[in-house]
Amino acid sequence: MTEALPEDLGALAAELALGLLDGEERTRAMRLCLSDPSFAAAVDRWRDQLLPLHGGFEEQPAPDLWPAIRRRLTGSHDDRLRRALRGWRIGAIASGALAASLAAVLVLRPQPVQVIHAPDRTAIAQLGSDEAPALLAANYDPSGGVLRIRALRMPASNLAPELWVIPQDGVPRSLGLVSTDGVSRVSVAASTRSLLRDGATLAITLEPREGAPHRAPSSAPIAAGKISTI
Amino acid sequence: MADVGAGVRRESLVAALEQVARGDQRALEDVYMATCAKLFGVCLRICQDRAAAEDILQQVYIKVWDRAGRFDPDRASPITWLCAIARNTALDWRRANQAPAHLPESAAEAIADATPLAWEAIASEQESARIVACLDGLDERARRAIHAAFYDGFTYLQLAQAMAVPLGTMKSWIRRALLQLRGCLGHD
Repeated sequence: MTEALPEDLGALAAELALGLLDGEERTRAMRLCLSDPSFAAAVDRWRDQLLPLHGGFEEQPAPDLWPAIRRRLTGSHDDRLRRALRGWRIGAIASGALAASLAAVLVLRPQPVQVIHAPDRTAIAQLGSDEAPALLAANYDPSGGVLRIRALRMPASNLAPELWVIPQDGVPRSLGLVSTDGVSRVSVAASTRSLLRDGATLAITLEPREGAPHRAPSSAPIAAGKISTI
Repeated sequence: MADVGAGVRRESLVAALEQVARGDQRALEDVYMATCAKLFGVCLRICQDRAAAEDILQQVYIKVWDRAGRFDPDRASPITWLCAIARNTALDWRRANQAPAHLPESAAEAIADATPLAWEAIASEQESARIVACLDGLDERARRAIHAAFYDGFTYLQLAQAMAVPLGTMKSWIRRALLQLRGCLGHD
């Protein structure tokens, strides 16, 4: 059940759903969506209630549109990432073999040192969902290279949550361990900052504390989500 | 219009989106067949250009393919989620292709004329839709502004420029209207 929101937050939810906000106001509202489930629910509720305004305009697109869409599916970035994540999960469950092979890839193919230009826009992500074992909200301020991640729900475990960024190549890079409750501040290494861009995935796995940050995850993610820049 | 099929359609859309999240192209085709007319209507209404709307519609279903795993049936109905993707993609296109740095003066009139025809079409199709009745109860300028925000992607700033009022005035008009709407829609 959603709790009653104060009036100004109720109006803010409607403003976000309608798209009235821009700049810092929009950033603030989107952050609130990630950190406050009752606010997010209010935004969803407005979207639901505005939905009938889309009624009455139905029109058939050209018949050759679906084949055109189907041709574009396999090349899409997320399709590759989806397969990579699926492979990761199977590998993680089967044995440590995949982790070992990922580590080998990292060792055998060292990345050349580059001058990295970080994206200049704030990035946010929600990791997990109400159904996932864990739920976290992250935001990243590229100017300071600091990622703040708030654990909203985390399963009890003797292991520690480790945060990973998975860019387009599908290879997870550890950003280190994070706290099981409250907000963790993660200083992102300069070489990793450019990976925190729109469309990259953040994921949490449970790992032993020893040896962190690890080269590769040893288990399936308990929460994952895409980064959006705002 | 009592729609007994709505619940069934909703469930089958939720199930199809779960399949799409697992990479099932046939499930995406089912989603496309069930929703393309509606989403094409959303795109066309916003961008007013058939060829552009068809290109946008392709992007919409690629996004659905990529993001289906993020759809959460407990948070939103599938059609709300799909319409939000279509609306946002179409509004992005508008901003990239049509948004002038300064709105022309005639935009105020364009808003004043905000397509009463379409408005009537909605009302007659979904007479029971509470949102339509509630919007009708609003002050006319606030209703026009909300209409322009919803269909044309106008932000507060653009609305203030288009209707030639200070930003603070525009915000207070709309906030008052949103609170009134909230009461009318029975939030909380």
